[in-house]
Amino acid sequence: MTAAIQIGGVSKRYGRTIALDAVSFDVAAQEVFALLGPNGAGKTTLLHILSTILRPDSGTVTIGGVDALTHPTRSRRDIGVVFQEPSLDDRLTVFENLNFHGLVHGVPGALRRRRIAELLDLVELTDWRDKLVRTLSSGMKRRVEIARALTHDSRILFLDEPTVGLDAQSRDRIWRYIARLRATRDLTVVVTTHYIEEVEACDRVCIIDHGKILALDSPATLKATYGQQLLRVVPHADAAAEIAMDYPDATIRPDGEMVLQSSGDVFAESFLARYGSRIRRLSVEEPSLESVFLSLTGREIRDQAATGRERTLAFGRQGGEHTR
Amino acid sequence: MSESGLAYTFRLHAGGLYAIWFREVKRAVRDRGQLIGGVSRPLLWVLIMGIGLNPYFRGEVYGEVRFVVPYTYLQFIFPAVIALNIMYTSIQSAVSVIWDRQFGFLREVLVSPLPRATILLGKILGGATVALFHGCLVLVLARFADLSLSIGDIARGLLLMALLAFGLTSLGVVIAGRIRSFEGFGVFSNAVILPLYFTSSSVFPLDPSLTNAQTSVIYPEWLMIVVRFNPMTYAVDALRGAFIHFQQFDAWMGPAVLVGMAVVFFAMALRGFSKA
Repeated sequence: MTAAIQIGGVSKRYGRTIALDAVSFDVAAQEVFALLGPNGAGKTTLLHILSTILRPDSGTVTIGGVDALTHPTRSRRDIGVVFQEPSLDDRLTVFENLNFHGLVHGVPGALRRRRIAELLDLVELTDWRDKLVRTLSSGMKRRVEIARALTHDSRILFLDEPTVGLDAQSRDRIWRYIARLRATRDLTVVVTTHYIEEVEACDRVCIIDHGKILALDSPATLKATYGQQLLRVVPHADAAAEIAMDYPDATIRPDGEMVLQSSGDVFAESFLARYGSRIRRLSVEEPSLESVFLSLTGREIRDQAATGRERTLAFGRQGGEHTR
Repeated sequence: MSESGLAYTFRLHAGGLYAIWFREVKRAVRDRGQLIGGVSRPLLWVLIMGIGLNPYFRGEVYGEVRFVVPYTYLQFIFPAVIALNIMYTSIQSAVSVIWDRQFGFLREVLVSPLPRATILLGKILGGATVALFHGCLVLVLARFADLSLSIGDIARGLLLMALLAFGLTSLGVVIAGRIRSFEGFGVFSNAVILPLYFTSSSVFPLDPSLTNAQTSVIYPEWLMIVVRFNPMTYAVDALRGAFIHFQQFDAWMGPAVLVGMAVVFFAMALRGFSKA
């Protein structure tokens, strides 16, 4: 398989914060490639560099065999981008937004109208063609954006957190469209997400944190290599401190649940022998991508999004709002 | 997308320019508030200010003939009101630059293969078209100002108005490039528009029948200097040339200043936009 995207030693820093630290990888043609990491890991920065609207401090980016840093306008013909923040003009109709996109990408008239009709059909919005975008729900807007990114027949689709802020049903739908698209056309998809359960269906997953690649492989291989059995324990109040002493690498969630990394059945047995009578609830979790992330970074992916303090600290590290 | 070469390049630029221009126009048409402002402003100036002050401007007021001029006050301020309406709409249209940045639409355009100069040109042409339209709204009131316009006058006037609209929309984009919020832009644009308007010899005449020496006796010197250095003075003067055939300055000066404004402000806007 030929590489659709090649990234070599890409670095980017904002002031004193290193957003990306010498990131290198290839994405094969027709692959669905996921960038997985917590908020602030550098996923969006990387995607902005790949979509040629941000220049890296160093490194090389090749898209479809063309150097994207020296020939950004050539690369832009091949890529479709769905940004994290909505970027539709909500005072225009669905059709007008797509038509605008086709025009600024030089798609000829008849072809443009045909493609828009096809794509609206794909994302099931044909009936909404002439509605103003501001009357659409956020899930629908996301679908319009996906259709829009394909209006110029892009061969590489970048999706930055396409499901964030959507309800479960809309999220499923988005992934269904992605699956349908890769089945029907020559399309490479790079998607960022911090929802672990979503990347199971991807061909390869790149786990990224603090601007560095921690692991990159298929979900199955990642689970086999880094996955661990997890014990999720809710202890009685008196046992909590003792467990924390015995198992210093246990993580404690805000609701009191403790997550222990188990090395196998023997581990579980010895734990039960000691604390079996002093716990309220225990569940055993088989190796999942969640545990892969935990063992690679030492924390759960949701933790960072949850704690306000860490986010404040990260914000402060970036120089706070004075940098803007 | 294997096709390349001239046909693609032409279609991309022409189509892109058209799309960006048309979007600006469409948004303006759908924005009722802006349209209401565009209609009420000239009504206020022409019908109320103009008609109200009209008698005091004639030479025979209070039985004392100061000077005799071949036009009424209403006719005198009419071209200036056109300039005012264009100025307001042009500079306000740059709000869409801030809007695009705020709501992410700018990125959608920036990931297209269009060069930034084409994007900016489309935006400015769109804003200028809307401003020109608002200028024409004033022109509809020409009857109330007792103006009889020939086709030639109108054609010449429209050309000058279009140049003015282009230059001022570029100026709006330059301002928008330095200001991040809508509120800030509103305050700032008023702070730019009104002084420019009032010091462009728009509402009071620098009387042609007076010599330079006499003029500086009547008006303070600092005001004379401001008026002479304000480019809008020459824009208004050029419009007067077209609509009431009266000019204080040489006929070539107005168009020259208008072209100069268009070129300089567009270059500045492009410089700012390329960095954005």
